[in-house]
Amino acid sequence: MPIRFEKVEHLYSDGSPVSFQALKGIDLDIEDGSMTAIIGHTGSGKSTLIQHINALLLPSSGKVTVQDYVISPTERPAKLKPLRQIAGLVFQFPEYQLFEETIEKDIIFGPMNFGVPEEKAKAAAKEALKAVGLDESYLERSPFDLSGGQKRRVAIAGILVMQPEILVLDEPTAGLDPQGATEMMELFQSLNRQGITVLVVTHDMNQVLHYCDHAVVMSEGKIVKKGTVAEIFAEPAYLNELSIQLPTMTQFIYELNQKGFQIDMSINQLDDLIAAIEAQMTSR
Amino acid sequence: MKNITLGKYLPYDSIVHRMDPRAKIMVLLIVLISIFFDAGFIGYALIGAFCLLVLLFSKIQFSYVLKSLKPMLFMMVFLLVINVLVMRTGEVWITIGSFPIYQSAVFQTLYIVIRLLLIVSLTTALTATTKPLDLTLGIEHLLSPFKRFGFPAHEVAMMISIALRFIPTLLEETERIMKAQASRGVDFKEGTLKEKISAIISLIVPLFISAFSRAEELANAMEARCYNPEAPRTRYKQLKWAQRDTLAIVTSLVLAVGILGLSLIGVA
Repeated sequence: MPIRFEKVEHLYSDGSPVSFQALKGIDLDIEDGSMTAIIGHTGSGKSTLIQHINALLLPSSGKVTVQDYVISPTERPAKLKPLRQIAGLVFQFPEYQLFEETIEKDIIFGPMNFGVPEEKAKAAAKEALKAVGLDESYLERSPFDLSGGQKRRVAIAGILVMQPEILVLDEPTAGLDPQGATEMMELFQSLNRQGITVLVVTHDMNQVLHYCDHAVVMSEGKIVKKGTVAEIFAEPAYLNELSIQLPTMTQFIYELNQKGFQIDMSINQLDDLIAAIEAQMTSR
Repeated sequence: MKNITLGKYLPYDSIVHRMDPRAKIMVLLIVLISIFFDAGFIGYALIGAFCLLVLLFSKIQFSYVLKSLKPMLFMMVFLLVINVLVMRTGEVWITIGSFPIYQSAVFQTLYIVIRLLLIVSLTTALTATTKPLDLTLGIEHLLSPFKRFGFPAHEVAMMISIALRFIPTLLEETERIMKAQASRGVDFKEGTLKEKISAIISLIVPLFISAFSRAEELANAMEARCYNPEAPRTRYKQLKWAQRDTLAIVTSLVLAVGILGLSLIGVA
């Protein structure tokens, strides 16, 4: 179990009149090598939850275990610094964190902070840039000359270059065009297949269906549902209560089934769906 | 970052919260001026009592004010050291080793510390009890008589309210960027000087970029809505002057006159 939350609570501005409890008794296990979606409305505690994974936030009570590191309310943050390299966290709109003169310098900023020698970091930067779909010619360019989508790729490369074993992404495709979003998600999926544990906060249920294997549903600081993606989408009525929409494909299958079809709700590939419909049509 | 208490509005319900912002600003001005009359420790004791009364009425804990003073602690210690080293006249207070510390140096520092404490607690009382928008509305009203002499009262008020409006946004942004860079291994608390400088640069550059782009977006949005600072406008929020406002001003005037009297006697 690389990530385990045990009775984690988090209180913002404790003891002041604007104090706010963002997490209430979170128990959660994230399996090694899984790709987990975190779903929930704005303010449901998703961002707070993921910031515990690399100890940017410490729990107010309870504990988080990430591999060999224990994140508890009393832990000294300095001791947890190596964790930041193991668990790479990509914030929402990461393009705003770029600051160096050249893309290469910006990408190697992370590894250099963790004491990786410059030459090694530069070699890794080339790899990371390639992974996000930009070629070497970008290395010497200024990150501020790029388009929004390209900037985001560079920022994500700045995390990937640290070769994290866990990758946490907060709405990585927000504001991207559909094709950019698809490419981005495919990148994360391929990283996941190379053995990286991926957690992704998203509002796009289609992405959850197509790319993730597990999902966690949050509401008002609590986890209200967790399981495989198929399990989560198997209860449309419950999701509706939380005003979470079904993915287009699942919705389509659901409506077909209401009209008398009997198609497996967990299908997530178009080809499989066509085949299933075909089979039912011919059997009539 | 969220621990910064200076200038934050506290949503309590108190008599000071309900006061007219114009009255609060004027009281603040009057008392601020009287702080700078030299009436010795008795004068400061009087103003201190007034401050405590204001804090009491506005339901702000004293510890909250002290918290906002924390960042100034370093400056005060620095000041004390400079004063002790530079001021070499008057009576010797104590001698450490062979180094004499003069009374005037300690007293001078103490005066400044007390003044700062008073100023901070009063301004905190103002900003903690007045919503930023009300505050600028009050400033605009108070400045409007100067319009006759070509003073851009509305523009100044607008600038202040925009600046105030963006303080929390920029703080949030700062926190976000700090976290993002911390995720890339930056340590903002520890490290060598070189590491610290690099950490600060990694924060400042993105912060400036986002502040500039926000400013540009805001300017565009205002222009798209045909904002014209000279156009006459009505207000949804009307300020109401109540008896308590007059009372507050009279009280602070009495205090100021008293302090002035004390300082004049002291001089004579």
